[in-house]
Amino acid sequence: MTAAARRKEHVLDNSDRLASARKSFRLVLRVSASLAFIAATTFMLFRVVPVNPTTAGFLFLVAILLIATKGGLVESTIASVAAMLCFNFFFLPPIGTLTIADPQNWVALFAFLATSLTASQLSARAKRRAVEAEERRGEVERLYALSRGLLLIDNSQAVAKQIVQQISQTCEIPTVALYVRGTGELYRSGFTEADVDVKLRDAAVRSAVLKEDGTNLIVTPIRLGGEPIGSIALTGSTLSDAALQSLLNLVAIGLERATSQKAVTQAEVARQSEELKSTLLDAIAHEFKTPLTSIKAVTTDLLSRTPDSLQPHQRELISIADESTDRLSKLVTDAIQLARIEGGTFRLNLGIHFPSSLINAALRQMKSLIEERKIDVNVPDDLPPVRVDSGLIEVVLTHLLDNALKYSPPDNPIRIGARLGEGKVIVYLVDKGKGIGEAEQAQVFEKFYRGRNERHLQGTGMGLAIAREILRAHGEDIALTSTPGQGSEFSFGLPIAPGVISQ
Amino acid sequence: MSAGKILVIDDDPQIRRVMRSTLTSHGYQVNDARSGEEGLQELRNSSYDLVLLDMNMPGMGGMEACRLIRSSSDTAIIMLTVNNSERQKVDALDAGADDYVTKPFSTPELLARIRASLRRLPQLPGYADLQPLAAEGVNIDLSSREVTVNGRNSRLTAREFGLLTYFLTRPNKTIAHRELLQAVWGPDYGDELEYLRVFVNRLRKKIEPDPSKPMFLVTDAWAGYRFHLPQ
Repeated sequence: MTAAARRKEHVLDNSDRLASARKSFRLVLRVSASLAFIAATTFMLFRVVPVNPTTAGFLFLVAILLIATKGGLVESTIASVAAMLCFNFFFLPPIGTLTIADPQNWVALFAFLATSLTASQLSARAKRRAVEAEERRGEVERLYALSRGLLLIDNSQAVAKQIVQQISQTCEIPTVALYVRGTGELYRSGFTEADVDVKLRDAAVRSAVLKEDGTNLIVTPIRLGGEPIGSIALTGSTLSDAALQSLLNLVAIGLERATSQKAVTQAEVARQSEELKSTLLDAIAHEFKTPLTSIKAVTTDLLSRTPDSLQPHQRELISIADESTDRLSKLVTDAIQLARIEGGTFRLNLGIHFPSSLINAALRQMKSLIEERKIDVNVPDDLPPVRVDSGLIEVVLTHLLDNALKYSPPDNPIRIGARLGEGKVIVYLVDKGKGIGEAEQAQVFEKFYRGRNERHLQGTGMGLAIAREILRAHGEDIALTSTPGQGSEFSFGLPIAPGVISQ
Repeated sequence: MSAGKILVIDDDPQIRRVMRSTLTSHGYQVNDARSGEEGLQELRNSSYDLVLLDMNMPGMGGMEACRLIRSSSDTAIIMLTVNNSERQKVDALDAGADDYVTKPFSTPELLARIRASLRRLPQLPGYADLQPLAAEGVNIDLSSREVTVNGRNSRLTAREFGLLTYFLTRPNKTIAHRELLQAVWGPDYGDELEYLRVFVNRLRKKIEPDPSKPMFLVTDAWAGYRFHLPQ
């Protein structure tokens, strides 16, 4: 124990002794006052207005009742005994002695003592009840004030601190500590030693109440729906058990409310940042695509004129500009798509679509590129509809088609189709290209990866990465089987629309 | 004689220059506006056969401009945008556009879309015999393209009218999506189901007493649409 703590204990000891001395002094004072009252009554009845023994007995009873209503059990009991002695000495014959001649007077004397003692007891009990009722009322008022205080908690700041301050203010408990399990937040007010921290964590984990009689410390878990969500430590609490339980419930509700509000705020912040990112990407796309639009309109217009309107070398130069525009445009589209997917700023716009219409739409988008190629399309008419984001699945298909066109010789056909399998619609795309070696098969889906011997080909290296991310967002994945020298097959599943019975 | 009068509404000066030059050389009479507000003013001053409307413009924006143009005129509208998402296409068509072209586009493709939008519908077989439809408080006058439903008056755009007459000449028969798209939009179309969905909804709003419970324009799930003509 440190010197300071010892000194503090000494001070505490002293103040305790002082308080108890003050208490006994008050009792002595009250007992003396009631004895004086009995003496005054005796004097009045014996000297000032002499009365017969019966009247004296009743008037003594009235005096005792007055003392009992004003004072406590101790002084009224002592006053009862004193009054009995005075009654015997001054009013019961033989007067002036404590002896009693007539046996009937013995009965009267004991009846007097019994009556006065019972009256003292009853009156003291009623008084205790009144004090208790007053205390309960005070507790209810404090709990009400606390519940209002907890509702006003600002959850942008430390919640535990605010709750502790509310409790110590409204319940007048100077030493309070609170531990919030979810956030690990801990706040102490009035506690000087940190070992209460350990007790708090322990109470929250073991969900057990700890009571230390010596220091008057209570450490109790705060439960919500049976589950401990934190713990609280109090010393010198004057609260009744019922009030303490209500306080715990209020703190539990306050904590839960603060937590759920925080979650809502975080979700709102995330949504706003997502929206900002999305708007920014839209703006970038617009800024890049607008000049490309003018260039593309010019080149395509010139190229679509009658053959003799341009000299062959002019046509060649404009074709180069046209193709470069397409390439740049695709690069912008892919980069923005990838940024959108990786930034999590896209939402699936799920709808019910037929596999044939998805594949046809993709083929139509690629029309200019596949015109001179042989494409075998095999989509049975009886395939059930699927539940997907049609725009994004078309993006997947165009990237895969683009990939197949690039990496297989122009004379080799490309097969694209769909079939039923594993409770899904499996879409596949097969090319008769060089194939992909086993070592490279995992790498092709990484962004910016380009085939080892294909660096001369134009491409952004983002297509397959985008395709895979889109399918993952649908809860699916893409599979690649390839044999070098024979070709590659990419395939992926699409979920069948619910409510559709597949044959 | 000009092939048609076109208003180009785009905030980018280069695009306005290119469009003016290209479209003029293909026989169209072209005027341009720098914003939705300016475009609306121009449309009040003179009439156009077609509006090329940019989606992304400062000020009121293309979508709002489209809605306002459509509320007072049935001129053809083609929207131009860099965004290629299904949602935006449907929004544009919902706002009253007839078609939608993604930037950057090739000039021949744009010209084809313009021609399709301006195309006078061929005289469909049986068209001449069509009687004005009058049933259940609904009155459709084919010569003026005017529809009256329970006293509520509206006028059909050329495309809506084309779709309706195609239905009216084939009553009580399920027509496949593809057939409708190719007949009403042109041979280049066939898979644009969203166009059909939006235009059928637009038609329902104009001709059905209760558009949420259609009694004429019925959906045959997965197959197509059917015009139910009360006997």
